[in-house]
Amino acid sequence: MADADASPNPVGNGDPITEAEALRRLRLTDDPSAQYYAAWWLGRNRSTHPEAVPLLQAALRQRRPRDPGAGVEENAVARNAARALGKLGRSAEAAIPDLLDTLEDQDHGLREAAARSLGDLKALAAVEPLRRRLAPGPAVAGALQPGTPRLVEPCEALLEALGDIGVADGEVLAVIRPFVDHERPLIRSAACRALLQLTAEPHWGDHLVALLQHQQLQVRRAALMDLGAVGWRPALHPIARTLAENSLKLIALRGLVEQGAGHDTDAVLAAMDALL
Amino acid sequence: MVCSETPKPMTISPLTPAADSAAVQVLVRAVEQADSALGLLQATQALAVVAHPEAAPCLVEVLGFNNPGAAVAAVDGLIAIGVPAVDTILANLDGNNYGARAWAVRALAGIGDVRGLDVLEDALGADIGPSVRRAAARGLGQLQLHGLAEAQRLAATERCLEALVAGCRDGEWVVRYAVAVGLESLAPAVVAAPIQLQRLELALTGLSQNLAEEAPVVRLRAEQARLRVQQLEPGRG
Repeated sequence: MADADASPNPVGNGDPITEAEALRRLRLTDDPSAQYYAAWWLGRNRSTHPEAVPLLQAALRQRRPRDPGAGVEENAVARNAARALGKLGRSAEAAIPDLLDTLEDQDHGLREAAARSLGDLKALAAVEPLRRRLAPGPAVAGALQPGTPRLVEPCEALLEALGDIGVADGEVLAVIRPFVDHERPLIRSAACRALLQLTAEPHWGDHLVALLQHQQLQVRRAALMDLGAVGWRPALHPIARTLAENSLKLIALRGLVEQGAGHDTDAVLAAMDALL
Repeated sequence: MVCSETPKPMTISPLTPAADSAAVQVLVRAVEQADSALGLLQATQALAVVAHPEAAPCLVEVLGFNNPGAAVAAVDGLIAIGVPAVDTILANLDGNNYGARAWAVRALAGIGDVRGLDVLEDALGADIGPSVRRAAARGLGQLQLHGLAEAQRLAATERCLEALVAGCRDGEWVVRYAVAVGLESLAPAVVAAPIQLQRLELALTGLSQNLAEEAPVVRLRAEQARLRVQQLEPGRG
């Protein structure tokens, strides 16, 4: 399930600041809170300013070991910079080497953000390092990291990125497949999503549709987002019936319209209308 | 809804809308005495399904309980009660409880009574929650205006149109989508008023051809709406 924009406040577009102001704030290396918001703003507003990518690259390099006592810890800026780069499309391609570098960082959250952005940017160069991180398999890369609720690797993000990039290579598929049996349903959902994207085999879609009935809301939400990301049209009615917020069902159905193909677009739109 | 567990299917006693007050009071007490999130959800569902006007005050109260599952059921119940619930909803709008207000907007949008117009207008223009603005946009397209005197009807229609046209610039794709749907459903009310119809069509054309639109689905839905509106016009389609 794709993470939501790390918006510092709940308003759609945040503070009404200008692009110039966002760029100015991103330069304030002694004010991480201002930088944090500025990085988010540039991604959210899909900035095309020529200085946006170089400044975000600089913010991405501005990372340190975690210091939980420091208010907005500095890696939070790097994380938002990574996320923003993923939203900037082709103009962010220059930052792919920086994101690949970040994928090797010690900070789990940074690796996660970098993986998602590399997936968003469909960075072919990321396929091998993503595959390599997952290659030790569910029992190692997918094991619980002692003393934390996290897994050793940000498996969900790594799996989703491989699916989004779309290289259906035999070695890639072989690495993803065992995660379909991971003990965490969110990981299973991410693995099915990636396999459905890469192989278009309907049974992976059936697995995701089954997760729409999972007893945990969090899992149902993840399956909604995953089906939307793939654009799996056979899931239309199960999505409409899922016990979850209409907002999420609308996002999933938008994915069916935009990522999927078929003659039933009007039916998807009608289902969306009914959820408003 | 955000209840963490799937509610179990429940059996509902076959009360009809004509159910007597005593039966409604029993269901109201069950809501008041519910001592768990799931219990509240089930009691609210049971009360909502009878769609009895005397259930309205209790259903409105549930909107403020911060139990989204129960709130969804309460909104459905209020919409099922319809016009007789509107005064109760308006009288209890809670400016300080944002969540409750959001649910109330949804109920008003679903009922379509013109007395909700002020609230829907404000919500689309200024509410911080996209899901509230979305519901308001849909509601502004489906107010039931036919019973009104002509002058009132024209004034109300104009306000709906104005609010929806402004809503085309909303920052959230889902609100712009709802605005397209709202404009489509408002169209029959302006089909005999050429200038308003033209503004409505212009708004849909703007949405469907906006090159800066980040969500292709908004353009698609606006184009669908535009074609449907065109079919309404005399001499065309």
